[in-house]
Amino acid sequence: MSVSVRISVFLSGLLLFLVILGLVRNRKLREELSIVWLLAGVALLCSSFADLIIDPLAFKLHINYPPTLVFMLIFFLFAIVMLYFSIVVSELKSRNKELSQKIALMEYEIARLKGE
Amino acid sequence: MKPYLIVIPAYNEEEHIANVIDSTKKDNPQADILVVNDGSTDNTSALAKQRGAEVLDLPFNIGYGGAVQTGFRFAVEHAYDFTVTLDGDGQHDPASVKALIDTMEREKADVVIGSRFIEGSYRMGFLRKIGVRLFSWIARLYGGMRISDPTSGFQLLDRKAFSYLARDDNYPLDYPDVNIVMALHKMDFKIVEAPVRMKEKLKGKSMHSGFRPAVYVLRMCLAILMIFLRKED
Repeated sequence: MSVSVRISVFLSGLLLFLVILGLVRNRKLREELSIVWLLAGVALLCSSFADLIIDPLAFKLHINYPPTLVFMLIFFLFAIVMLYFSIVVSELKSRNKELSQKIALMEYEIARLKGE
Repeated sequence: MKPYLIVIPAYNEEEHIANVIDSTKKDNPQADILVVNDGSTDNTSALAKQRGAEVLDLPFNIGYGGAVQTGFRFAVEHAYDFTVTLDGDGQHDPASVKALIDTMEREKADVVIGSRFIEGSYRMGFLRKIGVRLFSWIARLYGGMRISDPTSGFQLLDRKAFSYLARDDNYPLDYPDVNIVMALHKMDFKIVEAPVRMKEKLKGKSMHSGFRPAVYVLRMCLAILMIFLRKED
């Protein structure tokens, strides 16, 4: 990997990391949800030195074209991120349902007590 | 308070809701009527109140199953003995509620499913027909249940059954189907069928149009698999 590519990958990872920190600082992203993205940022930072690990690892795994291993790892990382957020969305959907049902039932009781 | 609660989930049904409530009242003096307005953007709620039904207004659309479950929760809170679920689009004939009640008394069942196929004919699309046949067959394989119309939303449930379905995620948000029949069977509820009249849907988009049948079959297969995998609650 050339030095310029290494630097640009490192800077992209750093930028992602800083953007996530900024979002958490401004309360646009919840801390517990930011962890997974911070890990993605760290992974991107590390990937600027990835060839030092990836090339020998690909060689050991009998992968002729090392970037294939990089794509596989990226795919795996983002699959985990998406799975994590799908779990969060499912939980939110259940809570949303519970809340909306409770609101409807309570509004009915309030209207009844008011004698509407 | 009456022993029966008729739960009518309704989403943007201003065209039909008044007629549905009027005919339900006329045919079922032994029942209270609850319309669960599933976040309609039209006059469904106001019209239902005008016609003298009890109305629960969900703050936004949560889906057919979520609306029906809200009705079950209302029935639990107000200690009703039985609930009937009836669609707000006028597809289900309220006069058939009597057949459901008679069958429940005769068979000592916990759940009676109104079937459009026992008596008379009902036209439906080819894909949907295959879906209905497939899930009837699965229900039969699973517990020897002879359910000809597992997709029917016209049902009568006793307190034990609707209290179970009112809990947590025991009822799906979208469309309850053969998965619920199987889940109830797994919990040892007695399920039988009774003949009911249903009108064919003339207007409005069916949930079984376009690519939806394929998604529906996949979704149902997954729900059935979960019934086998989940522990009894």
